[in-house]
Amino acid sequence: MSRFLHTADWQVGRQYSNFAPDDAVALAEARLSVIERIADLASEEAVDAVLVAGDVFDAQTVSDRTIRRLFNAMSPYTGPWILIPGNHDAALAESVWTRAQRLGAVPDNAHLALRPKVLEFAEAGFAVLPAPLTQRHTQTDLTGWFDQAETPLGLLRIGLAHGSVQGILAEEVDSPNPIAANRADTARLDYLALGDWHGSKEISLRVWYSGTPEQDRFKGNDPGNVLLVDIPKAGAEPRVEIRPTGQHPWIQMTERLAVSSDLDQLIAKLEQQPEKAVVALRLEGEITLLGKQQLEGSLSVAEARFRSLRYDLSDLSLLATDEDIAALHADGYVGEVISELRDEQNGDAGEIAREAMAILASMLLEKQAVGGDA
Amino acid sequence: MRLLRLKAEQLRQFRDPVEIRDLEPGINLFIGPNESGKTTLVRAIRAAFFERHKSSSVNDLQPWGDSAAAPTVELDFEWQGQSWKLVKSFLKKKRCDLTVDGTVYSGDEGEERLSNLLGYEYAGKGASQQKHWGIPGLLWVEQGSGEEIQGPVEFAGEHLKAALGGNLGEVTSSRGDALINQVAAERAKLLTATGKTTGDYAKAIAEVDRLQEQFEALQDRVRQYREQVDRLGQLREEKARAETDRLWESYRQQAKDAEARLAEVMAWQRDQDRDQQALEECQTSIQTTLELLNGFQDKQTELARREEEKGEAEQKQADLETRKPGHEKAVAEAGQAHKAARKTLKLAQQHQQRKELARELQGIEADLESDTAKLARARELHSVLLENRQKQQSLEIDPQAVERLKGVTSELDHLAIQQDAVATRLQIDLTDDQSITLNGERVVGRSEHLLIEPGEVAIEGVGTLRVLPGGEDVAEIARARQNLTDDQESLLSRLRVTSLAEAEGRLKQLQELKQAIQRDESLLKESAPEGLEALSDRLRLRQARKDELASQIQALPEQDDNSSPLSLAEAQLESAQQVLESAEAARQKLTGDLSLAEQALNRAKQEWERLNNELQAPDRKQREKQASDRLIELRLKESGLKERLAEREKQIDQAQPDVLEQDFERFNKSADAAEQQQENRNRDLIKIQAFLEAAGAEGLEEQSAELETELDRANRRRRELERRAKALDLLLTRLTEHRLELTRQLQAPLQRHLNRYLQLLFPEASLTVDENLIPEVLIRQGLGGEERGKFEELSFGAREQTALVSRLAYADLLLEAGRPTLIILDDALVHSDAERLIAMKRVLYDAGQRHQMLLFTCHPDNWRDMGVIARDVEELKG
Repeated sequence: MSRFLHTADWQVGRQYSNFAPDDAVALAEARLSVIERIADLASEEAVDAVLVAGDVFDAQTVSDRTIRRLFNAMSPYTGPWILIPGNHDAALAESVWTRAQRLGAVPDNAHLALRPKVLEFAEAGFAVLPAPLTQRHTQTDLTGWFDQAETPLGLLRIGLAHGSVQGILAEEVDSPNPIAANRADTARLDYLALGDWHGSKEISLRVWYSGTPEQDRFKGNDPGNVLLVDIPKAGAEPRVEIRPTGQHPWIQMTERLAVSSDLDQLIAKLEQQPEKAVVALRLEGEITLLGKQQLEGSLSVAEARFRSLRYDLSDLSLLATDEDIAALHADGYVGEVISELRDEQNGDAGEIAREAMAILASMLLEKQAVGGDA
Repeated sequence: MRLLRLKAEQLRQFRDPVEIRDLEPGINLFIGPNESGKTTLVRAIRAAFFERHKSSSVNDLQPWGDSAAAPTVELDFEWQGQSWKLVKSFLKKKRCDLTVDGTVYSGDEGEERLSNLLGYEYAGKGASQQKHWGIPGLLWVEQGSGEEIQGPVEFAGEHLKAALGGNLGEVTSSRGDALINQVAAERAKLLTATGKTTGDYAKAIAEVDRLQEQFEALQDRVRQYREQVDRLGQLREEKARAETDRLWESYRQQAKDAEARLAEVMAWQRDQDRDQQALEECQTSIQTTLELLNGFQDKQTELARREEEKGEAEQKQADLETRKPGHEKAVAEAGQAHKAARKTLKLAQQHQQRKELARELQGIEADLESDTAKLARARELHSVLLENRQKQQSLEIDPQAVERLKGVTSELDHLAIQQDAVATRLQIDLTDDQSITLNGERVVGRSEHLLIEPGEVAIEGVGTLRVLPGGEDVAEIARARQNLTDDQESLLSRLRVTSLAEAEGRLKQLQELKQAIQRDESLLKESAPEGLEALSDRLRLRQARKDELASQIQALPEQDDNSSPLSLAEAQLESAQQVLESAEAARQKLTGDLSLAEQALNRAKQEWERLNNELQAPDRKQREKQASDRLIELRLKESGLKERLAEREKQIDQAQPDVLEQDFERFNKSADAAEQQQENRNRDLIKIQAFLEAAGAEGLEEQSAELETELDRANRRRRELERRAKALDLLLTRLTEHRLELTRQLQAPLQRHLNRYLQLLFPEASLTVDENLIPEVLIRQGLGGEERGKFEELSFGAREQTALVSRLAYADLLLEAGRPTLIILDDALVHSDAERLIAMKRVLYDAGQRHQMLLFTCHPDNWRDMGVIARDVEELKG
């Protein structure tokens, strides 16, 4: 029986521009630490090889340090790592791979499949048929050659490719690099390990996308896993087990606020989310001026709990109730201005009006705190 | 509110109670001199309202020196149908009792009710000050502070707002203004007054720009890197293909082939050149031979021509020879004729000479005759002349002397007359026979004598009578006469005449003689102009010539009748001469022509002979034959060469040596280029490889991603600040607008009241009030148009008037709002001139229609026309 760890889309070197600096650093760091966990898992599970199906690097020109750190992270597992380039790190004339080789950063047990050529691991009993991307994008099916590729009898035929299986992921593909849906059959593969799709996905019994081991976007299609693949023998059905590896779940929430108790519910819901999560909160509905102050306080508390909390209040209207106005002592023309702004916040320049209203409210509150009428 | 009664007691001047009753609802005028107690009354009213009954700071209320006094004020007034009564005592008896329609409010409670009613505050400590006075501070004008308006309005502000309506609440409040100030300050951190970005906002934008620029630069580099990667792949592929194809080798082989073929063609070309030269030589020989043959032919032709020329020369010579005798004869004949003509001419000339000589002789003979006659006459004239001249000499007389003589004689005559006139006339008339002697002379008969000198008349027998002419004149005249007589005698003697008449006769005779001489001289000159001698000589010369001519004529032949005239002879000779000359010339020419013809003939003969000899030479035929043979031979050779050349030319053309040469060059260059290209490719590969290695080490995309992160962050910050700036801007605009709007709402009614009063004071004027309702600018219509004056810049008087108008306007406003109004004016408008005072009285009277007014003055005369009875404060005390 052969056992593999199937992973892909490590996207090492990715930067998180939408986050606060410390969050962004932590998230980038997480992409390296997950490799260490994969290596540990590979050791624990004593796999025959780790198959990495492309997009190992997020870009061709990452720093030398990043290259070295990636290969260092692989060190806990000393068995063979078989890596192919994807669209982000295609094996061009000059690529991150040639640089890694020049740097001498590639350990002996890491096999860079930069050419479509059978790699035989006779002792372990399998042969790998890689379909590396040698261009950033291609419209031809790079796995085509698998059909004719000969491998010694008795060795498992393991395909390794990066791209989109035609007809299945048509609309959600990351790149146009096509892969025939029946390739496993036509090429008599025991298993086809695919990359490019960031969620774990079974295409057929023998064809799987492992997804990225550490989530890097809010799309919730089951990312953050690797696949543990057992193949009893050549031609036998593989057993695939999904193993979570991600550290930071990415959670997207959209909540509606209408009555004041909604705010309490929202706070309770936020508290239920796991720590280390990357949360994007979007609020709709309406909130009073005083409620807004309260909300901001609560969000500030929640921010400290999560790896990252970002919130979008652009669809949250501000209500200036009579109580608000009274509480703020916003009588007379100040009150009129508040009403005017309140009415305008759903118009074209609504954002500005809302901001203006918030500023006014905070100033009035501040005055009250200081001691009212000066 | 209507004040009905006022009573003060133990209060300053009013040690005894003073009471004022029956106050009018309108104007109440109080008069009295200074110190009479007007101000004390005012103070009493103020104390009743403003001072707390418990206050210990109101010692001024006590009568001077009476520290035991309890100053008390009692006030009765009506308000909204209710009757209010206030009794307030201070210091020694601190009490406040307010009764409103029977309900008593004591102490502080009463005071609070009062302050709420009128709108003022109490001092926390000490005496009440201006800042506490609120609305009454505005309506109760203290002595000497009538021109102040800003302070009172400000202090009344809160109460005015409260009084004038809740919705106006924020206008003058520090709360709204503070908010606006805060918003403006916050806005100023991000935007300048003109809306330009500043502070953090400007920094954020600059940061975005900076990062954007860096990011784009990095993106460019990434793009460049990617292009170079692609280029590397492409070059590698090209290089591999080129190494497989090895094109340059095939090009070199092709070049070599072309070169060999070209060498072959070049050899042909050399043969061609050689044959071409041979052909040219052959053609030259043909030409030479042809020329030789032509030479032979030409000589024969020339001989014939020479023969002909010779014949012609002979003919010509013969012709000329035949004409020779004719010419000789003509010359001889002409010579003969010429000779004869010459002879005839000579004879004619002699005849002519003789004729001329004869004519001269004739002339001379005539001259001789005339001259002889002339000479005779001349001689005669000459002798007459001599005679006359002699005569003239004898008659010669001085004409001047004669003239003088004439004068003297005339003078003498004159004197004689004079003498006669003055002389003593002695008339004697004697009887016959009687005589007397006068001056010794005897006188008889009758006579008259003039005596110019003393005379003696002797009468015989009688004696002598001496007559003495009287006077000097007689003597003088006699003396003058004597002188003149002397002169006369002298002259006569000189002229050798006896009398003047004789002298004159001689003078006349002389003149006639002179004329005769002149005439004769003239005649003589005519006959012999050059003198007698010359005439005589000429006569002799002529005689000699006559003799000579006679002999000459004798020598010449006499003319016969048929001799030719000279002119004809001359013409004939000339004609003969011409004939002779032309005959001789003709002969001369003929001789010349003949000689030329002979020469030509000789030359022609020689030429002909030379040529004939030449042609008759023995080897000539042989040479001609040889030349003919050689020509045939050469022609044959020429055609052979031409054929060969044409054939080879065709061959060369077909081989296209130009194209071959180009092929050689082209293939060689192509090989060079292919090699060069491969070399370039290798160089580029190394270069690109090096570039990519260096650039790759920089981690461009990672850097770019990091920078993008930073840029995103900067953009977010910029957007946040932008939103905040816009929001603050919006907020500021809105707050300011609303505030302004509210201010306008409040201003409008006040403005209305103000203008109503102002029309009475300054026609067509208006007064603007600022947002705090404080008078700001007075606008009047002057002569030069609109005049604007800031309130604080107006004169004291105008300021006081304007301030009072404003106060009254406020009172109207308060009245409209249903608030109590009581106006107190203590010695107001003392700075107004008469005219303005009249206007202000109208204003006050008008206000008095609506408000109760207490007017205190120490100038009663100024206020008598207020339509009320003045109350004398002095009397009140009494």
